[in-house]
Amino acid sequence: MNPQEEEWQLLKKVQQADFVVVELTLYTDTHPNDMEAIQQWREAIKEAAKVRRQYESRFGPLSLLSVPSTQAIEVGWHWNSTPWPWQR
Amino acid sequence: MWVYEKKLLYPVEVTTCNPMLAKYLMEQYGGADGELAAALRYMNQRYTVPDKVIGVLTDISTEEFSHLEMLATMIYKLTKDATPEQLEKAGLGAHFVNHGHSLFYENAGGVPFTATYIQSKGDPIADLYEDIAAEEKARATYQWLIDISDDPGVSDALRFLRERENIHSLRFRESVEILKEERDRKKIF
Repeated sequence: MNPQEEEWQLLKKVQQADFVVVELTLYTDTHPNDMEAIQQWREAIKEAAKVRRQYESRFGPLSLLSVPSTQAIEVGWHWNSTPWPWQR
Repeated sequence: MWVYEKKLLYPVEVTTCNPMLAKYLMEQYGGADGELAAALRYMNQRYTVPDKVIGVLTDISTEEFSHLEMLATMIYKLTKDATPEQLEKAGLGAHFVNHGHSLFYENAGGVPFTATYIQSKGDPIADLYEDIAAEEKARATYQWLIDISDDPGVSDALRFLRERENIHSLRFRESVEILKEERDRKKIF
């Protein structure tokens, strides 16, 4: 797999993990007493954070609140760098 | 506040330049039942609803902005390489002379977005019923778009969006029940 393909695949994993959080957050908004869902939500947040760290340590932050890794800065990462989501 | 995430909610892959399909997608970009209308409607209603439903309105509104970005991505990709002749043939000649290759908040017929598409009544039940209707209308529009789409990548993204509208409708229906329960409990005690 070339680096570009690898980046795309890892980004898809971030999108998947983050989507689980989006969905469970919405569900728990209207089901505040569903303890099983809240437990799933806790695990989903941890999983999303783990996958995000994997992505960001290599390819740079996806959000302005993420801390850029030394590795990302070394390879010339800048927030204002392409591709933006619609340019992929 | 909001923090930008440099990724889409769901990947959008477009097969070829297709300005005609882009024109149709504008219905969900800047149309009456589109994502901009949805995002702005919920974001504005949330300030004056009971605490129990603020989270739903905030989170769904935020998600609608990510849907708006997905639609923008589709429209941009479908039109970026189109010549003026191709745009004209697709019915986007008037769009081109006013906006060039840029996007604009308008519906499939070229009518610009207006705040008169949305309402905020200051009555949580009235507002939530409008929101449920909005989600159902958006779902129906996505179905018509899927039926007319000839791009498999776009259709895939549209199917995702259609399912999200179903979920949002369900969450708003649950929100109505939460408010009714609360109202009935107040009557008893």
